[in-house]
Amino acid sequence: MILRVGLCLGLTAEMVQQLKDNGVRTVMDLVSSDLEMIARKCSLSYKALVAVRRVLLAQFSSFPVNGADVYEELKSSTAILSTGSKSLDKLLDGGLYTGEVMEFTGSPGSGKTQACLHIAANVSKSLKQGVLYIDSTGGFTATRLLQLLQGRTEAEEGQVEALQRIQVTRVFDAYRLLDVLHEFRSTVAQEVIRASAPVKILVVDSVSAVICPLLGSRQPDGMALMMHVARELKTLAKELGVAVVVTNHVTRDASSGQIKPALGRSWSFVPSSRVLLENGKESCGKTSGCRIASLTKSPRQTTGFSSLNPLLYGSSHSGAALVSSPFVPRLFVRVTNARPRLPTLPWQWSPPLRIVWLAGRARGGAWRPGSASARPGPRPLLSRWLSQSEFGLLWRRTRSGGEEGRRTDP
Amino acid sequence: MVDGLGKAESGAQIAFLFVSKLLTRLEGRSSLKKLEPCLFAEEGYPIHGDVVEFHGPEGTGKTEMLYHLIVRCILPKAGGGLEVSLLFIDTDFHFDMLRLVTVLEHSLCQSSEELIKQCLGRFFLVTCNSSAQLLLTLYSLENMFCSHPSLCLLMIDSMSAFYWIDRANGGENLSLQEANLRRCVQCLEKLIREYHLALFATTQTIMQKSSNSAESSARLQDEADGDYRPYLCKSWQQLITHRIFFSKPCHPGSAKGFSITSCHVHNNSVVKRPFSISEYGIQF
Repeated sequence: MILRVGLCLGLTAEMVQQLKDNGVRTVMDLVSSDLEMIARKCSLSYKALVAVRRVLLAQFSSFPVNGADVYEELKSSTAILSTGSKSLDKLLDGGLYTGEVMEFTGSPGSGKTQACLHIAANVSKSLKQGVLYIDSTGGFTATRLLQLLQGRTEAEEGQVEALQRIQVTRVFDAYRLLDVLHEFRSTVAQEVIRASAPVKILVVDSVSAVICPLLGSRQPDGMALMMHVARELKTLAKELGVAVVVTNHVTRDASSGQIKPALGRSWSFVPSSRVLLENGKESCGKTSGCRIASLTKSPRQTTGFSSLNPLLYGSSHSGAALVSSPFVPRLFVRVTNARPRLPTLPWQWSPPLRIVWLAGRARGGAWRPGSASARPGPRPLLSRWLSQSEFGLLWRRTRSGGEEGRRTDP
Repeated sequence: MVDGLGKAESGAQIAFLFVSKLLTRLEGRSSLKKLEPCLFAEEGYPIHGDVVEFHGPEGTGKTEMLYHLIVRCILPKAGGGLEVSLLFIDTDFHFDMLRLVTVLEHSLCQSSEELIKQCLGRFFLVTCNSSAQLLLTLYSLENMFCSHPSLCLLMIDSMSAFYWIDRANGGENLSLQEANLRRCVQCLEKLIREYHLALFATTQTIMQKSSNSAESSARLQDEADGDYRPYLCKSWQQLITHRIFFSKPCHPGSAKGFSITSCHVHNNSVVKRPFSISEYGIQF
């Protein structure tokens, strides 16, 4: 917080300049310095400085609240939202608490997205509350959501209504995620969202997909961005009275070999409660629909540290662990901000294409832009791209199989 | 605020501050003798001016221990408590009032809504969202401690909450990275000294054990704190008088899940104690 004119009452341009000349630039500098000395050095009025300091403190510090008042307010504002699954509710001591961040963690295919969809369907249909679903992996399937809703009600109107209460946003990086969270906060503040269905649940599936790319070499920056996301989620939860559900991957601990949630130690402090989802092949026998959910962190359930609670998702329509149907986009679901931030490539992009990244050296048989006749599709743009790449890095496009063979052509 | 009014008010306030400061110094804060003897190595209780650091990875019961201590403090003397007020600074948005009330309810002999609110009246909560806000809040707390002489305990959960954000904001410059925290520690030191407080603060294990850990914890070579690596600024490390390490065994299913290792920084006495967390709080 830099000291500037208009920051608070009584802080004049002359004062700001004088203070700046004497090395007092920020609010923190002013507040923590010896005002008597500053007044002498800057030839400013001591009284004026004291007054400014008091106003600044009042303006930017947060105030202590009495515990009895907090409790009173909490009693009227806290809601426990049922997840729609009895055993999961039991695990979470009644359901999802507003004001808290809950994390589903598990390996791929353990049912994290299905659990999120399941919760979204239940909250919008049974509890008639709004849901903001932030999808960062493309794992959200509208048909699956519809299927889950069809299992809850036959009436098409009810299904449409429920789907309308779910807003879906796609984000593909952490900056966009922060943008979306800011937007959400401001829309709630302005009460733009219809009063009929205030958003009570915020789902981020998955949080690790946007944060993992940031961690690594430039560590402090990536970690700081991760903590910003964490802080934003927690403030949203507390201030707007929303239950936040995030999903996370798992990794293996290098020393003990045990499964632990991804994103490292700093993130591990972020969620209030954490549920580990696992494929229950060994313990449940043959059916692949069986998953095990175990509580690994909770502020109130204490048995969770060791106990495994089997969570057998129900039948195909009301349960969560069905293999998702092929993607059919946006049936009734309102998709906001549906601009994927994938690198838009100049030619048509299809899944089998791979980009191979060769650092520093081009191998003997590397593809040369000149040998254009050998490959299908338009190429001029690609060669421009290639010539722009710096540091001798070479981008090469290969199509699975065939390309490899062509590459070795002399 | 009108300028003249502000000045008049500030004059009155300064006089008031002075008098109440004098009074609190003369009167002295209540003793914390019966706070929790299990927690400390030597004397068994924190004296005013002590700074106790709770350190450990997530899910090892640090915040839970704070709830336990809060309840011990705010319980009436008739109910076996200390009947003192305390201030809790929540920097992590982690504090769970409902959990505190649950623990409190089970510590009271007969719990009525009225009694619970009476106890909670001795508890004050502040949340801070950035290290700058924490600093300004600490400075503004002076008035609070003056006007509430029964306040004799300060808790911060956690000290390390802004570590990564501050580190990135400071760029390459270490002293710039630590600037806010260093000032917070200065202010804390002053508060603790002038108002005879005891401070309990948690720090999280967010660093992996370094490969050359031998030199980093040379004097604290104990099984539980092999993982300990101080990363917060030096002035904070110097402020600490007790360090309590929290840990839980890796394998689930053992009866007494958690343990603390309590180290007195100055005379090197070490005590290790297991404890368990039930629905109703901590039991030693």
